[in-house]
Amino acid sequence: MKTAAACSVAALALAACSSSSDSASSAPAGSGAASAPAESQAAAPGGAAYAGPVGDGEGQLNILAWPGYAEDGSTDPSVDWVTPFEKATGCQVNVKTFGTSDEAVKLMQGGGWDVVSASGDATLRLIYGDTVQPVNTDLVPNYADIFPDLKMQKFNSVDGVAYGIPHGRGANLIMWNTDKVTGPIDSWAPTFEADSPYKGTVTAYDSPIFIADAAVYLMATKPELGITDPYALDQTQFQAAMDLLTQQKELVGEYWSDYTKSIDSFKSGTSTIGTSWQVIANLAKSEGVPVEAVKAKEGATGWSDTWMVAKDTPNINCAYKWLDWIVSPEANAQVAEWFGEAPANAKACDLTSDKTFCDTYHAGDTEYWKDVYYWNTPTANCLDGRTDTQCVPYSDWSTAWAELRSS
Amino acid sequence: MGEPAIRLRGLTRSFGDVRAVAGVDLDVVDGEFLTLLGPSGSGKTTVLRMIAGFERPDAGTIELAGTDVTDRPPYARDVNTVFQDYALFPHMSVRKNVEYGLRVKKVPAAERRARAQEALDAVRLGEYGERAPSQLSGGQRQRVALARALVNRPKVLLLDEPLGALDLKLREQMQVELKAIQRDVGITFVFVTHDQDEARTMSDRIAVFNEGTIAQLGTPTQVYEHPATTFVAGFVGTSNLLHGETAHAVVGRSGTWSVRPEKIRLLLPDEPAAEGMRTVGGTVREVVYVGMSTRFVVDLPGGDTLMAVRQNAEESADLGYLRGTAVRLSWDPRFEYQIAG
Amino acid sequence: MTTATSTQRGGFGYRHPRVRLAGLLTAPMAWLVVVYLGSLAALFLTAFWTVNDFTGQLVKTFTLKNFQQVFTNSAYLETMVRTVSIAVLVTVLALVIGVPLAFFMARVASSRWQPLLVALVLTPLWASYLVKVYAWRAMLQPENGVVAWFLQPFGLSGPGYGFTAIVITLTYLWLPYMILPVYAGLTRLPDSMLDASADLGARNGRTLRSVVLPMIFPSVVAGSIFTFSLSLGDYITAQIVGGKTVMLGNVVQTTYVTNLPFAAAVATIPVIIVLLYLLVVRKSGALENL
Repeated sequence: MKTAAACSVAALALAACSSSSDSASSAPAGSGAASAPAESQAAAPGGAAYAGPVGDGEGQLNILAWPGYAEDGSTDPSVDWVTPFEKATGCQVNVKTFGTSDEAVKLMQGGGWDVVSASGDATLRLIYGDTVQPVNTDLVPNYADIFPDLKMQKFNSVDGVAYGIPHGRGANLIMWNTDKVTGPIDSWAPTFEADSPYKGTVTAYDSPIFIADAAVYLMATKPELGITDPYALDQTQFQAAMDLLTQQKELVGEYWSDYTKSIDSFKSGTSTIGTSWQVIANLAKSEGVPVEAVKAKEGATGWSDTWMVAKDTPNINCAYKWLDWIVSPEANAQVAEWFGEAPANAKACDLTSDKTFCDTYHAGDTEYWKDVYYWNTPTANCLDGRTDTQCVPYSDWSTAWAELRSS
Repeated sequence: MGEPAIRLRGLTRSFGDVRAVAGVDLDVVDGEFLTLLGPSGSGKTTVLRMIAGFERPDAGTIELAGTDVTDRPPYARDVNTVFQDYALFPHMSVRKNVEYGLRVKKVPAAERRARAQEALDAVRLGEYGERAPSQLSGGQRQRVALARALVNRPKVLLLDEPLGALDLKLREQMQVELKAIQRDVGITFVFVTHDQDEARTMSDRIAVFNEGTIAQLGTPTQVYEHPATTFVAGFVGTSNLLHGETAHAVVGRSGTWSVRPEKIRLLLPDEPAAEGMRTVGGTVREVVYVGMSTRFVVDLPGGDTLMAVRQNAEESADLGYLRGTAVRLSWDPRFEYQIAG
Repeated sequence: MTTATSTQRGGFGYRHPRVRLAGLLTAPMAWLVVVYLGSLAALFLTAFWTVNDFTGQLVKTFTLKNFQQVFTNSAYLETMVRTVSIAVLVTVLALVIGVPLAFFMARVASSRWQPLLVALVLTPLWASYLVKVYAWRAMLQPENGVVAWFLQPFGLSGPGYGFTAIVITLTYLWLPYMILPVYAGLTRLPDSMLDASADLGARNGRTLRSVVLPMIFPSVVAGSIFTFSLSLGDYITAQIVGGKTVMLGNVVQTTYVTNLPFAAAVATIPVIIVLLYLLVVRKSGALENL
């Protein structure tokens, strides 16, 4: 019963899988209408957005979040933007954190959660999985102050319908140990090319989504492959990326999947160069590890997280109150500084305790983000709008990654 | 030759603060059936375990047929043991159990097989070789344990309360059987028990243990009829003692004197005492009918208590009416013995 | 006649022991069947499905594609062999270290020390799994870890992160699961068994071989079932100290959200291997004695 219902909704949204390739042709690239046909707007996944107005709270709110996104003082007493929210709205908050996008998707599908902070590699799965509902941005006053280049992106909207409120962003940087690597480094080349002098101490992110990092490097170094979106790879492009990763594996000493392991790896000298996050670089430096991290000249993958609302939430008013609260300049500044990413609200930059924070993280630097490709979920319908070919779906990305790691 | 099968000298062993064995000297004659008798905790089992080599003495020596084996491990001593819990190996068949000692000593397979069968036949379990120990009854397991020890033809067989777990009837049957086997194979048996009847039935000699030392060593008759100490008198049979004043009044000399119950005759009020007999008056406290005989517990005026036994050969009447009445006891002075302790 | 007296004592259950037994067992049996076997069956079924390339949703049509992929791809076959090798090595190491240790605890140490030793063996079980694995990560650091520092004077270098590190860490993690059943088996072994063997002329080595080991064999098998199956299913240790080395569990972890049927097919392999192991063990007759 349940399965049949889910299938039919998905089929509606995609106007049936078999006939989708021609009907999707009219969707302009970059508008976000990657895989859904234009005429399906009325039947957008998740039904209609909340009409409002946002009334009194229902008294409780269940939040699913990345660690550090919904802090109530239990990690560090001075880090708390949940308690003020509870006091202001009367919505009692229950937070559960997750470690990976995959885990977030599984938990949301299980139900019981009202809002979720989803990265780009989870958002589309949640939208097409009929797990989340469209968001009426008119009901979120602070939406007005969010950087325009974060609004209505491929990973947070479908056909001009917003599915969430942007929260913050970060780029995957190249980090190196300044004692052991002769810098400065400005390219991914030492982590991919077979003649790297750092063979055996290269590190890489242990997730299928890392295939996109290889694709970004290929966009710059092998333009003849014609990659325009690292999440829309046809079979040839995908194979080229996998070949590059196989070549990289010879150089890798260790893959990392949680940031404590990455810090430890640089600290102990197991790794000297590789993919990292700004927050890892900051923490490593604070522990006395001599590292630097920059965005490579070839561009980078990155993440932009979005707060989304569960389709069947019974706490819709509390959910909208939270969306507005978490992107308010005050809360957004706190989250961004605690987590180590660029805030989404332009006004947050005035409220950070470190006045250079927004500069360090390039919060409003539109140029900086131009070659940052936010995590997205690859599907067989190419996300870059190509209709003459099929792209490799994420399920195959994960088996390919498992195979690469197994061999 | 002429050496005793076992010679113990000054054997001592403590467990923590407890002196389990406190200086034991003992010669076990070749071919005899010697029983170590005593209450639990008297040290008899510890002495046996030291002979076998399971415990090391703190002091003293152990000789087997004239050879000092005090420092030898169990596997280097020519003795075998039958354990209280039989200690049959549960993962081996009855035959494998019996063959174990021979296999360890690398006796050729054919001979091993023949000797094991012979030993099993001797304990009337010839047909049970392929069974697992768990498929046998208690008495059968006991006999397997015996066969497993005897098949090695040791100079000495040590038996640690081997009949304790059997019911009364089986126990009595096994007592007879054990004695017969010992007589057949002609090896020295050292048998540990706390049951004085068992000791009397089978032994050539009995060593009575008390608090880590030997209180008396002698034939069953000697130990029974001439107990060397108050303890032996009490433990072997029933303590029937006359002390101080009473002894002086009755026997005519002071000291502690013992008379066995079956030697004492209870005189009904109208019965005359025979010539030359001791007599003493008392009050019947208890009358216990035990089938073949009736036991009377009689309180003497001086505070001592004597037990008298009367065969139920003549009176078939219930003697219970005697409870609380005044009676006289009489015995032949030949049967009274002075006790040292 | 005896029935007449027994019916007067006790209630219905006393008179109908089978009914009483059924009453006691229904709930746990239902739990076992529905939750335990049910989830296993679901896992197995899922392995024959596939996912839609466009939506990532499950498609419930029968296909052998996943198993084909697992068993024809050399990368997965290698991982399978590697994972089983790790589990076997861990089990052998746990045996070599654990059995003598358990023997010492049960038969050599004085009764005053025994509870303390058992507590010492148990203490690591109370610490978080992750803490222990990260501790080993620190110790196994290639350059300045304790292990490398210890081996340096001998002209040796530490194993670094990889296959060896996984084996060492898993052996440490699962060792108590070998020691405890063997220890329990040894304490159940009556002293008189050892005395009897010595009495019949066997030296200690012979007693160990012919009496002790056969009698504690079921306990050893029980321990090996723990160490083997726990190692077979592990993936976090490989993630933390494995360097580039992965086990079957890591393949499942990488693929289970985006390609559940494939992950299920991979996850079926350790289940089958453990079942085969149990079958072999059962044939040896050890399970009856457990």
